[in-house]
Amino acid sequence: MSGTNPELILEVRDLTMHFPVPGKRIDGKRPVVHAVDGVSFSIRRGHTLGLVGESGCGKSTCARTIIRIYDPTSGQIKLDGQNIENLTQAQLKPLRQKMQMIFQDPYASLNARMTVRDIVAEPLAAHGIGTERERTERVHEMLAKVGLSKEHANRYAHEFSGGQRQRVGISRALILHPELVICDEPISALDVSIQAQVVNLLKDIQDEWGITYLFIAHDLSMVRYVSDDVGVMYLGKLVELADSDEIYAHPLHPYTQGLLASIPVPSPRLARQKEEVSIEGDIPSPIAPPTGCRFHTRCRYAQPICSQEEPVMRDVGGGHQVACHLCK
Amino acid sequence: MEPILEVKDLHTNFYTSNGVVQAVRGVSFSLEKGEILGIVGESGSGKSVTCMSILQLLSNTARVTQGEVHFQGKNLVTLNKKEIRQIRGGKISMVFQDPMSSLNPLMRIGEQIGEMIREHNRGMSKKEVEAEVVRLMGLVRIPEPEKRLRSFPHEFSGGMRQRVMIAMALACQPDVLIADEPTTALDVTIQDQILKLMRSLQKEFQRSVIFITHDLGVVAELCSRVIVMYGGLIMEEALIDDLFEHPAHPYTMGLLRSIPGASQDRSQRLVPIPGSPPDMLNPPKGCPFVHRCPYARNICAQELPPYTQLDATHRSMCWLLSPDAPADNNPFKEVREN
Amino acid sequence: MEEKKELWAPFVATDEGREKIWSKERSFAQDVWFRFRHKKSALLGLVLIGLSLVFALAGPLMTTRSYSDQTLDYVSIPPWFRVYTMEDGTFLYLTSSMRPIQVAEDGTLGAPLVRIQDDMVTKKITYEYGADVVTVDYSQKPPAILDAAGQRMTAGKMVWNKTYPLGTDNLGRDLLVRLMYGARISLLVAFVAAAINLVIGVLYGGVAGYFGGNVDLVMMRIVDVISTIPLTLYVILIMVVMGQGLHSIIIALSSVYWVDMARVVRGQVLSLKGQEFVYAARTIGSSTGKILLSHLIPNAMGPILVTATMLIPSAIFMEAFLSFIGLGIPAPMASLGTMCNDAIAALRVCPYQLFWPAVAICLIMFAFNFVGDGLRDALDPKLKK
Repeated sequence: MSGTNPELILEVRDLTMHFPVPGKRIDGKRPVVHAVDGVSFSIRRGHTLGLVGESGCGKSTCARTIIRIYDPTSGQIKLDGQNIENLTQAQLKPLRQKMQMIFQDPYASLNARMTVRDIVAEPLAAHGIGTERERTERVHEMLAKVGLSKEHANRYAHEFSGGQRQRVGISRALILHPELVICDEPISALDVSIQAQVVNLLKDIQDEWGITYLFIAHDLSMVRYVSDDVGVMYLGKLVELADSDEIYAHPLHPYTQGLLASIPVPSPRLARQKEEVSIEGDIPSPIAPPTGCRFHTRCRYAQPICSQEEPVMRDVGGGHQVACHLCK
Repeated sequence: MEPILEVKDLHTNFYTSNGVVQAVRGVSFSLEKGEILGIVGESGSGKSVTCMSILQLLSNTARVTQGEVHFQGKNLVTLNKKEIRQIRGGKISMVFQDPMSSLNPLMRIGEQIGEMIREHNRGMSKKEVEAEVVRLMGLVRIPEPEKRLRSFPHEFSGGMRQRVMIAMALACQPDVLIADEPTTALDVTIQDQILKLMRSLQKEFQRSVIFITHDLGVVAELCSRVIVMYGGLIMEEALIDDLFEHPAHPYTMGLLRSIPGASQDRSQRLVPIPGSPPDMLNPPKGCPFVHRCPYARNICAQELPPYTQLDATHRSMCWLLSPDAPADNNPFKEVREN
Repeated sequence: MEEKKELWAPFVATDEGREKIWSKERSFAQDVWFRFRHKKSALLGLVLIGLSLVFALAGPLMTTRSYSDQTLDYVSIPPWFRVYTMEDGTFLYLTSSMRPIQVAEDGTLGAPLVRIQDDMVTKKITYEYGADVVTVDYSQKPPAILDAAGQRMTAGKMVWNKTYPLGTDNLGRDLLVRLMYGARISLLVAFVAAAINLVIGVLYGGVAGYFGGNVDLVMMRIVDVISTIPLTLYVILIMVVMGQGLHSIIIALSSVYWVDMARVVRGQVLSLKGQEFVYAARTIGSSTGKILLSHLIPNAMGPILVTATMLIPSAIFMEAFLSFIGLGIPAPMASLGTMCNDAIAALRVCPYQLFWPAVAICLIMFAFNFVGDGLRDALDPKLKK
């Protein structure tokens, strides 16, 4: 893929992120955590790609590597046609205006010693935009957009409720008008009634500004509602990628099927009819992932080939990609 | 049916540097023998504080200011430390959200479960205790219990640790099990496994369980009766099917609407509940939901609504259910007229 | 009826009502102060520190005496003593060197009597007392003044020393003034040392913690090396090179004590830099300096302040210790340690000379420890009520 498609704001190819395990070096080799192992996807401008998976599947690492909090082990990251995987932090700085991140934990992601005004104005200050007064003005505008008022600007983050804090975090990420926003589980830590608020807010801003989201979550029902396409990750690998309605209607990978089946259904009647097709067992260690298909240790359909050969992602029609030996 | 645990008009306050936080403001409910009672609510609704108050597990900045908790002829609120310790773990046991912080990282799993058994069954031999531990670990479906007995907590995954916590909670065959968001910290596939385990244990042993969660989906899968809490009060109490099919409180309706259903289309907007939960330092004088309720009337802001008993098992705290309430923009009146 | 209608009219919810935060708008410092002042021992410590600061800073301004002024007539006079009432109604105080001093009724010291003759055989000394003479008998212990009939008198009336409220030392210097100057030196050493340690330790630890990896490894090994050198040895070396004095003590203390601070800050920064708000600052594009100064260090301020507060008493103690063993402030400057040292020789005769500086050291140390303790509780978010 040498040419650049201007349609695509983000292209990720074979992204790999291995973390060395501290300590243990008995045989000279240093064990590594295979957090992300050869993940490829791309996002069209103005669209939303959802990434789902259980904790430890590498979805957050993937996000943090794309935004270059981590330096990728290998692979390519192309932001708006420009390769960013080897840029230094100084070279990245101007690009950071194009790409911002919303964090998971509304408590840990805001500095407790700063007022909301300073938190939201930080990106402006970092990039030297505007005078102090203009920044304050923009902060107030941004806060109004997320449903908070001027009075909130002088308060400290710890005085806010979880949903309010997350809106402050969104204001900080959006004040530079980025083109791509990486949302790392932005709603996981919020209450149900607040989740819908935040999701609607994100969607409204997308409609207005045409920004692109990489939306990471473990909650499949919300991801489906937010995303145009959904990718399912398991143990550092992307196992299925398809249009969001398609993936819910026809999940092909056994892991996707199990994941969908294990969502609690908010209806007692449907819950009683639910088939028992949940996934047994625990996620294996990412330090020594299983050979072949990484899911074969928990897969109910596993064949001998699954433990020997690693399945590759292939298109089964209509852009629906899946990495499974059994899906032909 | 006879209630095994009865909570009457419970009030709990937290004394903070900012003032008094009224976390629980008059909660009454009863737990029947052999049922799983769900308590649903957002963070800050008082659901956890209610259960901590039952077992006197509150931090020293909190105090139960009013109310009674009746259990086996005793009022748990008035018991002293020694008496409540005998109830805790023995007759009422608890499973917490974070299994790692409830387990001693330096003790083997087997020893920790064994300690619970020995605590309440003195005079058991070492062999017997170990056999009992293995039985319990099998009960919660920990594979190869004889081997895993010698493991340390950090060698277990989150789901396995939560199973250990359940095994410990069941060790003394308690009459009541209180589970405080036991699956919140777990992944969906693991949550599913734990829920399945709890369902099958329930079928087998007919224990009374109070299950606290913020997830209506979990409630739907597990519980037989539900209490919906908001702002330190019980907003609605109903049998599980009634609650999901005929919710009788705007808050419950809002909650149900804000979850994307299986049939939710991407083009359709979710209907969120606007605003934030009330600050319990200064809760609204009337209904705590008034500022976020699409049907609110002036009276809602002025006076706390009384409970309306819709039928023997279904009650709700809402002014709109009152016979005086006008029918315009009233979801309950419209339904009845149809 | 109208009223009823009004009750059932739709309630107009405002954004303000929905998003209102009721807790008082309080900055971090106000929050800490709130919790701090609810701890009695901490407040007591703060008051004591305030008093000792006033004592040390304003005290010397209120007296004309200096720490080095000697009055050899008034050597080792205690803060209170018993006097002999003479026949003419005047009072005499017999010093430990057997010299009677005239004392006014309110305890003001007057002139010492002039010696006429010392009879070594009968062990009697006679002094000129106006027109009269006074005889001191030291044939028996303790020495006493003889009355007109030649009988030993007993010193009866107890008076407070009005001239020297805390007495004098064995060189006839006012202990109160020396104590003021001593406290001044001790507090100066402590505050300067703490301030230097704070700056060096915070920057050093912050940099080591933030950059991590090999930078951290090298920097922390340097810290290890420094902390293995015994402080006394270090001080002696500095004294040899730079000479005795205040500056050597301050340099010695501040070049060694910062290692604790550096360790604390490094640990804090290491744990903080994995927090999401630091990642957020990095993804925003904030510079390293900004991240360090406005994100990491303010959030580590709790442990930093506590360490700094706890460092002050140990610096005071160290200074006192060094001065006590003779490595500190040169004479005639007073420091709490040198005062203790001076008092040791006459400990059995004049215990009050040791008592005052010892009490001062104790109180200052207590005060800072109390405040440090209170700060730790007030700053620890886990103990937040």
